[in-house]
Amino acid sequence: MQEVALLGAGMHAWGKFPEKTLGDLTRFAVSAALDDAGVTWREIQAVSAASSRFSGGKGWGLNGNDVVEDMGPTGVPVYNLSAGCAAGGNAFNIGYTLVASGMYDVVLVVGSEKLPKGFIQTSNVEDEADLEYMRQLAVGMPGPAFWGFLTTRRMHEYGTTEAQLAKIAVKAHQIAKHNERARFRQEFTLEDVLNSAMVSYPLRLYEICPVSDGAAAVVLCSAEVARAHTTSPVWVAASAIATALHNDGIPKGLGTVVPPGVTHHSEAAAAVKQAMGQSGITKDDLSLVELQDNTVYYELAFPEEWGLCEPGEAESLVEKGETMPDGRLPINPSGGFLCFGEATTAQGLFQICEMTYQLRGESGARQVPNARVALAQTLGLGGNASATVLKR
Amino acid sequence: MTQVPVAEGLFAETAAGPRLLGSRCATCGTPYFPKVAICRNPSCAGGAIEDAEFGPNGTLWSYTIQYYPPPPPAKYDEPYVPYAMGMIDMAEGVRVLARISTDDVTKVVAGSAVELVLEKLYTAPDGNDVITWKFREVK
Repeated sequence: MQEVALLGAGMHAWGKFPEKTLGDLTRFAVSAALDDAGVTWREIQAVSAASSRFSGGKGWGLNGNDVVEDMGPTGVPVYNLSAGCAAGGNAFNIGYTLVASGMYDVVLVVGSEKLPKGFIQTSNVEDEADLEYMRQLAVGMPGPAFWGFLTTRRMHEYGTTEAQLAKIAVKAHQIAKHNERARFRQEFTLEDVLNSAMVSYPLRLYEICPVSDGAAAVVLCSAEVARAHTTSPVWVAASAIATALHNDGIPKGLGTVVPPGVTHHSEAAAAVKQAMGQSGITKDDLSLVELQDNTVYYELAFPEEWGLCEPGEAESLVEKGETMPDGRLPINPSGGFLCFGEATTAQGLFQICEMTYQLRGESGARQVPNARVALAQTLGLGGNASATVLKR
Repeated sequence: MTQVPVAEGLFAETAAGPRLLGSRCATCGTPYFPKVAICRNPSCAGGAIEDAEFGPNGTLWSYTIQYYPPPPPAKYDEPYVPYAMGMIDMAEGVRVLARISTDDVTKVVAGSAVELVLEKLYTAPDGNDVITWKFREVK
């Protein structure tokens, strides 16, 4: 295995851009990543692209082929990768593996998406054998309801209050007002959040991430190529992906087994633990974490499920400001999914771009002081998860 | 008025009362809802699957209230009234998703004892009652 450097990162802003095509967003992100890396399109030896059924990819998830057609068909190999909302992180894992294995020296990883309005539909096939379809038909359970279950349980176990949940949204917007690439940059008071519409009890509208359009790309390369371009590259210390265990308590269709232990997202915990192990870091080495906050709940649950803090401790960390960029455990100093919204396949890569800017000290008013090691995590439909550790 | 199940093979009214229809591994005992073809427990060497019935007793592990009208394929009678859904740990060791049967969604409590009932989900265009599995608090 050879060392892998992150030579370039590029993002389009997140938002709704009816005047732009998916190709426009993608080209912007890819061109920005190439410029940032100081390499030309013709130097890219392989493309790993996150893909979904929502947009682009010729309806077949061939998003990487769209990129190559648009940037110039050089004949490079294309890897199209589907993993639900984890796709960006999983595509990064493919790109990392292609370079780490020594197969290629310069690889582009890209994710871009224009999502239809409304909460993401987990199924669009009318097939009784599809349990995602059946949970909506027979139980009446759309996507956000799942987060409602997890959050209600946390309130039952730890006495988490609705105000504590709202505080997390307030905190996210305090950060995102400083991020020109975030979609929602207005500040909210606790009352603003608590007055927003109840969606899936106990979660309110401002506590759940909406869908967005967005695009992000990175250029990965070997140490030799990196040293020819820069004296201080950002290094990929680890990249791991995992799928869920059968008995983690999270129902995938209409049910599951009552778990022997604590109900948790086992795929995310496995990916994070594997990535931290690979990179040889402990929780004390982490300068910041970009985690998948589809809802405020995850800012409480994930740090505990990964051993970054004690069970039941997360609420007090938020209340003391410890998850702010200048706190003890900075979480989502980008503003997170709450302030970007979700452009499914691009999410894992916006996190990695944001971590890169932090590690280079380019994040301005939301900069984590002396950021040296950063962890990102995604979670997607089907029990997919990814984790990435970057360091400088 | 005819009652029709929302889908076949998921539940039944038996002589002993309402039951969910699932499977159980003959080797390791892992319960499944709905039915499965093979045991999915990676540490089980067996694989023979038997039909199993679950119910009526369970504990409400958690719940949520659906405040906005759900998008298709979910169906509901107009005018829309928010409903509660639960994750229920049944006595047989299976955790299931279900609608909660209650007159007041704000009175649902995590951790309460619940029992399986088969009730109307919505009225079909032909006037039939479409039935699904629900759980209600044991008084």
